[in-house]
Formats: sequence, C-alpha cells, structure tokens
Amino acid sequence: MEKNLLIELKNITKAFDGEPVLRGINLDIHDKEFITLLGPSGCGKTTTLRIIGGFEDPDSGDVFFDGKRINDVPSYKRNVNTVFQRYALFPHLNVFENIAFGLRLKKRPDREIAEKVKEMLKLVNLKGFERRSVSTLSGGQQQRVAIARALINDPEILLLDEPLGALDLKLRKDMQNELKNIQQKTGITFIYVTHDQEEALSMSDTVVVMNNGEILQIGTPQDIYNEPVNAFVADFIGESNLIFGTMLEDYKVRFSGHIFDCLDKGFEPNESVDVVVRPEDVDIVAPEKGMLCGTVSNVTFMGVHYEIIVDINNYKWMIQTTDYCGEGEKIGLYIEPDAIHVMKKSEYSDMVGDYSSYSEEHEHLSDIVEEDD
Amino acid sequence: MNNSAKVRKKVLAASSKSTIERSWLARIAACPHILWSVLFIIAPLMFVAYFAFTDSAGNFTFENITNLTNYGETFMLSVFFSLIATVVCIIIGYPLAYFIARLKPRKQKLFILLLMLPMWISLLIRTYSLMALLDNGGIISTFLVSLGFEKLSFIGTGGAVILGMVYDYLPYMVLPIYTTISKIDVRCIEAAADLGCNGWQTVKNVVFPLSVPGIISGVTMVFVPSISTFYISQKLGGGAFDLIGDTIERQFQNKLTYHTGAAISLVMMILILISLAVMNRFSDNDGGEIIV
Repeated sequence: MEKNLLIELKNITKAFDGEPVLRGINLDIHDKEFITLLGPSGCGKTTTLRIIGGFEDPDSGDVFFDGKRINDVPSYKRNVNTVFQRYALFPHLNVFENIAFGLRLKKRPDREIAEKVKEMLKLVNLKGFERRSVSTLSGGQQQRVAIARALINDPEILLLDEPLGALDLKLRKDMQNELKNIQQKTGITFIYVTHDQEEALSMSDTVVVMNNGEILQIGTPQDIYNEPVNAFVADFIGESNLIFGTMLEDYKVRFSGHIFDCLDKGFEPNESVDVVVRPEDVDIVAPEKGMLCGTVSNVTFMGVHYEIIVDINNYKWMIQTTDYCGEGEKIGLYIEPDAIHVMKKSEYSDMVGDYSSYSEEHEHLSDIVEEDD
Repeated sequence: MNNSAKVRKKVLAASSKSTIERSWLARIAACPHILWSVLFIIAPLMFVAYFAFTDSAGNFTFENITNLTNYGETFMLSVFFSLIATVVCIIIGYPLAYFIARLKPRKQKLFILLLMLPMWISLLIRTYSLMALLDNGGIISTFLVSLGFEKLSFIGTGGAVILGMVYDYLPYMVLPIYTTISKIDVRCIEAAADLGCNGWQTVKNVVFPLSVPGIISGVTMVFVPSISTFYISQKLGGGAFDLIGDTIERQFQNKLTYHTGAAISLVMMILILISLAVMNRFSDNDGGEIIV
C-alpha cells in the first residue's frame, strides 16, 4: 500500500562547530506513517527532527514538504508541530491556555477554542484539568498537555523528540500505547525520536536506524529485527549472538566450526561474513545431538525465561530458554536454517564482541543518562 | 517543576538529621548582622517614629502627620517624576535587556560589564558630569550655538531631572530584566515558534509574560531611589523643583525641624511599602492564571 510522500530529505548534511553531525541523510516519509528515528545518543536523530521542524538549517541538502522545498520556510509557517523532550509547556499559562495557544494565535472564536480544547483533553485523558496550573501536573500529565497543545493545530506531521524519556518505566509503557492509539485515531504522521529500541519496535510502522550521522537501515520493525543489514544494527536492536563466519556457497554457511544450512544467498564463494543468531531462536538439546556443543557458564532468571551464557570454543553465546540448565552443565545447541541471518562485513564487524562481558555491560548501560544530541 | 519539588523534599529529609547543630551554627553566624541591624536600622527607625509623633517639647502629637497636607504638591511632583523616569527606564531598558539576553554568552558578559561600568563611578560624579553636558555653557549648548541656535541651558527643566534619574538608575532596570529573560527555557521559545508565533508574537506571548518578575524588581529598584532622591533634583533641577527628598533634607539640614522631616519620611516609607506589596501580589498572580 503505497501512500503519499509527505517529507523528503535529500542529502542533508549538518555540522556543529566543524563537527559533522549529519553526513548525507536521505529519507522519505509517507502520509499517516508512524516513523521512528532510532539510534544511540549523538547519532544525529534529534538534529534530523529539528531540521524537519525548522529549528536548524541544514548546511547542504534539501527538505521537501508535499513536493515543495521548505528549507527557507521558518518553523512558525510550517504545518508541523512538535512535542519537546522536556515538554516545554508555558509556565505562565494554565492547562487550557497552553493547549489553546495555537488557536488563539490564529484568532479563532472563543467558542471554537473551548470546544476543541475540551476535545483534546478528552483525547489525552485529562478531562477536567482546564484550570490547573501546569506546574502542579506530574510528568505524564505534562506530557499529555504537550501532545494536546501540538495536536490541536491539526498538523500534517507531529514531531516527537524523546517524549517519554523523562517518565518512569510503567508510565512509559502506558504512554506508548496511548500515543499509538492517538496516532491511529487522528491519522497524523508521527516522526518519533528515541534511543529505546523496544519503544521503536513496538510503536512504529517504519524504523530508521541511525549511527554517527548516517542512516544504516530503514524498514519495518520486523525487517530491522530479523534482517539487520550489519553488525551494528543487529547489536543495537535486541540481543544477538554475532559470529564471524564464511559463506561457502548459497544456503551454506560455516561458523563455530560447523556448517549450517541457511536461507541466505548472493554472496561470493567463501566470502567472510557476519552471522546473527537471536538468543530466543536457539534450541537446547542433548550434547550429542547438538550442532554445537558448549558449557553453561552463567544462568540468570528473567521471569518469563532464563538467560544462559554458553561457552562454545571460548566464544560466549546468549540463549533465552524456558528450560532450566545448571551452571557447568554441558549442552548441545540446535539452530534452524531460518534462525540464521547472514550479513555482509561492515565497518562495525570488529566493534561487536561476544557475551563474555555480559553482566558488566548491563550495569554500564543502566548508568547511562541519555541527553539529547 | 515536579522534579525540583521532589528534590527539595529529599534535601529537607536529609538535612533534618543535623538540623539542630546547623540551626545553632546559623544563629551564631547571624549575630553580627543582627547587631548591625539593631544599631543602624531598627534603632534609627524607632527614632524616626518617635520624632514623627512628638512635638519639640517631646509630647505625643499627630500634628506632624496632619501638617503633611502642606506637602501634597511636593509628593505629587515626586511621584510624577519618578513614574516617568521608571517608564522611560522600562522603554529603554527592556529592549536592551532582551537584546543582551539573546546574544552569545561571551558577548552577554561583555555587554553586562559595559552596563555595570558607570555604576562603579560615584553617583555624585555622574550627576556632575551630566551638569557639564546640560549647563548653560555646557557641551550640548555650545554645540547648538555653533549650529546657530540661541544659547540655552537645560538645567532647571523637569526633563533634566528625569534624564538624571534615568541616567543614574537605568542599569538597575536592565539587570533584573536581563536575568529573567536569559533564564527563560529556550525550548519554550522554540515551542512558541512551533505553534505559529513569529518573532514579535513570541516576545508578546511568551518572553514578555515570563519576564514580568524581572520588570517588577527593576521597577522597584528604579522607582524607590528616584522618589527619594534629593541630589539629582538639586543639581539638575537647579532649585526649580522641590522633590520630597529635598524637602526631607531641608528639614534636617537647614531648619533642624526633625519632627516634620521624620513624619514625611515615615509616610513615604509606608507608601513605598504598600506599593511594593501591591506589585508583589501582582507578580505572584502572574505565575498562575491571570490570563484566564
């Protein structure tokens, strides 16, 4: 189902103080799409969003809106509204006036404004909050006001810059569902920026994975997860075992000393490749029946499943399973052909290791405080 | 906002443990200032009150206060001049403060330094230098004469007095306004643009309302010294205007009528306190729902 092209970014570059932030971004955004720009801090996703919103000018390249070049159109003339990272509500106005702000500027009649604000408050589940001062609202409530304030202007595109970043986990999950519902109800194109891959996968129609000012992959959440283009995407999206391998011929790949059947083709004979096997796609069997064989070195109970680290020829794999294995136990691994994904070598191939530093990595990740880039 | 409230709660909880020792220490630390206040602020105020309500024989009387009706015109003139000076300070100071606050940080520092520079020079010298400009044979007059105008002096006009007030107190208007504007969240300004405000509308709808507290404190810092000044009006007014400050000064310096002087001072102090209270109320409301 091909939809209308709404936004086109053509070869956008941008540098701050000589430091390149965007290196040639090309992106098409379609009508009614929920598209997410996903990447680690500093990858240029927020800058891309700000260029669409008109808050930054690209150094080179063009932005098209409905086929018209809008590089020189200031943000207040663009039919685009933004939900900012820390909401940026007006502290001198109450909830009603914050939401009514855009319509007041357009000098709409009071009655229409009152009606639309009421409608918006209902949409974001804040009925009866009209007279409240925004400083008395919780983070989640402020977020809803920010969304209502943007949506009341009937934008063609809503830009959301890590809107849930400041909320706690449970509230974030609720708001994710709510945002998705609002997007489907209103049919407005959402361009969503996040560093949270789970959020990106669960909400989006299209995910754009970015790193270091470049777009690495554009696709549906399923594509991105099941068919990552390179080691970086595979590593960034979900958990994955990344192994160096050799593509012997079409549908035959060798890694960890075993030759596997797979579904990939189109490589040179004996080409070096990166192989991804998702932890949930590995079956545990008896050692003598396994394609690979290893020793369990670590078991973590995660609630729904166990996460076990298996040492195979000194390379640590992660496997998610509902069957319990004891530490030190010898197990066999069975991998179906469709569980194997083969990727071309890339600049990221060497940056990704095995799970030997798994626990430290986890602690490290939880320490990172995300700032906007 | 919510977060900062939480943080405050946490800080309070953490500090409650050692509150006792700290309050003890804090009390000792406050001693020098308390002594100072008693000697040089509270005691003189008591004297002012005492003189205001007694006659030369030391008997209690309301006469000093009731006699103040004689000074009604002086009061009105003082208020009028100070109000105009304050308004002029806002008109000149606000755009300047806005301009400085939107500069890059390094340039902001430079401009603030330039703004503060005159404040390092004594007010007396500044006022004298204004006289040199405005006087009969002063620089401006000489310049006008060279252009073929008649020789004239600005000294002794109301305009010169107001100019003096503006000249001396303008930095006190700019600084607080600059501080509030520079503290406004950039994202609020971006949000205004995002919602359809052009530059002027952003200032009108967001920047100006959020900088009202700065204007209020600027107004206090200009209006209060302006209304009680005597030096500016004496030097630049050339004796043509009797402002309330002059009257008070005369009571103490020449006539040695402490009782009238004290009464005027007391009434003026109360009037200023009332107007400050009104303004503060005004600015408090502004944080909430005044627009509705």
